[in-house]
Amino acid sequence: MGTIIEATATAEGGSLGALGLADAAARLCLQRAKRTAEEVDLLINAGVYNDRGISEPAVASLIQEDIGANPEPQPGAGQGTFSFDVRNGGCGMLSGIQLVDGMLASGTVKLGMVVASDIDPEPGVSEGFGFPAVGGAVLLSADGSRAGFTAFRCVTFPEFAGLFTSNVAWREDPRPERSDRGHNVLTVEIAKSYADRALECAESTVRDLAAESVLDLGEVDLLVATASVPGFAAALAQRLGMPAARVAMPSPALAGAHTAALAVALQSVRLEVGRMALFVCVSAGITVVAALYQG
Amino acid sequence: MSVGGGKHWMALEGGADGSPGEGSYTSRFAAIGACLPQRRLSTDEVMASTKYRTDIELEQLTGVRERRIVGEGQDSYTLALGAARDALAHADCAAADLDMLIVCSISRHVGGLRLQLEPPLNVALKAALGAERALGLDISNACAGMMTGVFILNDLIRQGRIRRGMVVSGEYISELGRNAAQEVRTVMDDQLASLTLGDAGAAAILERAPEGAAGIEVAGFTTLSEHSRLCVAFPATIGPGVTMHTQAREIHRVATEEAVPMLREVLDQAGLKFDEIDYLIPHQTSARAIKKAAASFAEGFGSTPKHTVITVDELGNTASTTHFVALSKYLKEGRFVPQDRVMLLSLASGLEVGIVIFKVDELVGRYGHDH
Repeated sequence: MGTIIEATATAEGGSLGALGLADAAARLCLQRAKRTAEEVDLLINAGVYNDRGISEPAVASLIQEDIGANPEPQPGAGQGTFSFDVRNGGCGMLSGIQLVDGMLASGTVKLGMVVASDIDPEPGVSEGFGFPAVGGAVLLSADGSRAGFTAFRCVTFPEFAGLFTSNVAWREDPRPERSDRGHNVLTVEIAKSYADRALECAESTVRDLAAESVLDLGEVDLLVATASVPGFAAALAQRLGMPAARVAMPSPALAGAHTAALAVALQSVRLEVGRMALFVCVSAGITVVAALYQG
Repeated sequence: MSVGGGKHWMALEGGADGSPGEGSYTSRFAAIGACLPQRRLSTDEVMASTKYRTDIELEQLTGVRERRIVGEGQDSYTLALGAARDALAHADCAAADLDMLIVCSISRHVGGLRLQLEPPLNVALKAALGAERALGLDISNACAGMMTGVFILNDLIRQGRIRRGMVVSGEYISELGRNAAQEVRTVMDDQLASLTLGDAGAAAILERAPEGAAGIEVAGFTTLSEHSRLCVAFPATIGPGVTMHTQAREIHRVATEEAVPMLREVLDQAGLKFDEIDYLIPHQTSARAIKKAAASFAEGFGSTPKHTVITVDELGNTASTTHFVALSKYLKEGRFVPQDRVMLLSLASGLEVGIVIFKVDELVGRYGHDH
């Protein structure tokens, strides 16, 4: 019994807002899988930069209500939906998939969806926010005849914690006459060296995962890799000695996607039955989550 | 309706037909830790700090007498770290033995009122604790965050995927009260609930129980999202930190109403009657709301748990940490006996309904009480 990806979807456009992007991606994903929202019994949102910077409730509960996934209880009529957020930066979507995989394996849920989206909450005010406005969704279920996700590995490299930071902090109005006023400002800072360190951390994590899984990297048919910086997947493939033709390459406009990057990358490829895919997400921390997927 | 077409509305672990069924392990709480700041702030002091003159009798309305507030150098992160260390001090395992570390803070203040979005807090916590091997994860599920973490760990331990994990949260939320004090004018204000908040950290270590030993009997969760917009928090516009806007009466009303059928499902799964619960630990919003809910449950079930735990009077509402702060307090005060059966009940913004039933068993001994 394995956890398989039934469908993926993305939605673009800042005018929708982060919630609108997540809702749209979730709806399209369900449509592609020919599923209804009521069938989803686990809904995880992995987006970090949402409208107004909401910290409560879980944004997943808002998405759940919007898409109509069992918003009202009907005890005795089957299982409802359980929603919560994962906040693991650009690794959140794959971390969410790992959590869904666990609950599918135990039978606690039957159909899980991981959704993510980011937007700049205050364009013109925020500093350093360079991620494209995009949402993504991945729908997962258990399949008795396919292997699906066979291994996960999550490693943190705290020595590089300062290379990718983001926070919201109060800044006083610089104008003397308005010194009693100010603003909560989002600041995202990604050091130039982050991309190189991300590659090193990803490579070591992948090699450990391969060793643990008795896998020759030459057997990998597809590399799906994200680190919220353009060019990462191709550079990682080179380090791992994998041909460029086996790399999922999103469109240049979405190459720097953040929490939805995994869904974005999956849009550009087909996960064929029997083929082996290697998923690698890298983000602030530095955190690396890697997984093996047998389609 | 779910694809499984099961009989229960909640996602359920354990019990009559909860996952993962036959042959599963039992998971149990190995230790509970807390970190409470020393400074106390009375409700009288809070109400004296409001910008506008109000005639609100907050203590009478909520039963909150005082709460703890952070001092110099304390924040969400340090409270979480303190609680994690306290839990480890009561456990017979080391941080290096943890397979998973789940951080569940709603507030993410690190270094004063700087709200840290990235990196996730688990990265620094893992390093500070020496939990190098643990799979680190930050989740967010309002005041049901730690209970969600328990639900995740319980599931993974029961199916044998992990042996041991920690759920931890630090909540520096008294600052929401400071912001609310600048704006609250009447008892109907949507920031009134913010005036009841207190700061705290809490941690729980879960582990695989030896064969035949007691532990978590049933855990259930669901999200009734038609109520998802009744309590929303975001960065403040009037000053540093966060503001929270709550339709308090409405959320209490629906939470109490919706909880009854969910409690019934979980009790049925466990094959228990309500009065077989020795201690009910509900989420701590206000003493009055808890008593009102308890009376409503009594009416619905025709029976009541032997004790309903209230800590909100002296600690305020400490968000995601409330259940575990209360558990830690009762364990340290030696209030439990090993045979006691406890029900943790989360009713949180979302609307999240989470329920965990467990036997205290040898946890009592880890706090120097052998009864």
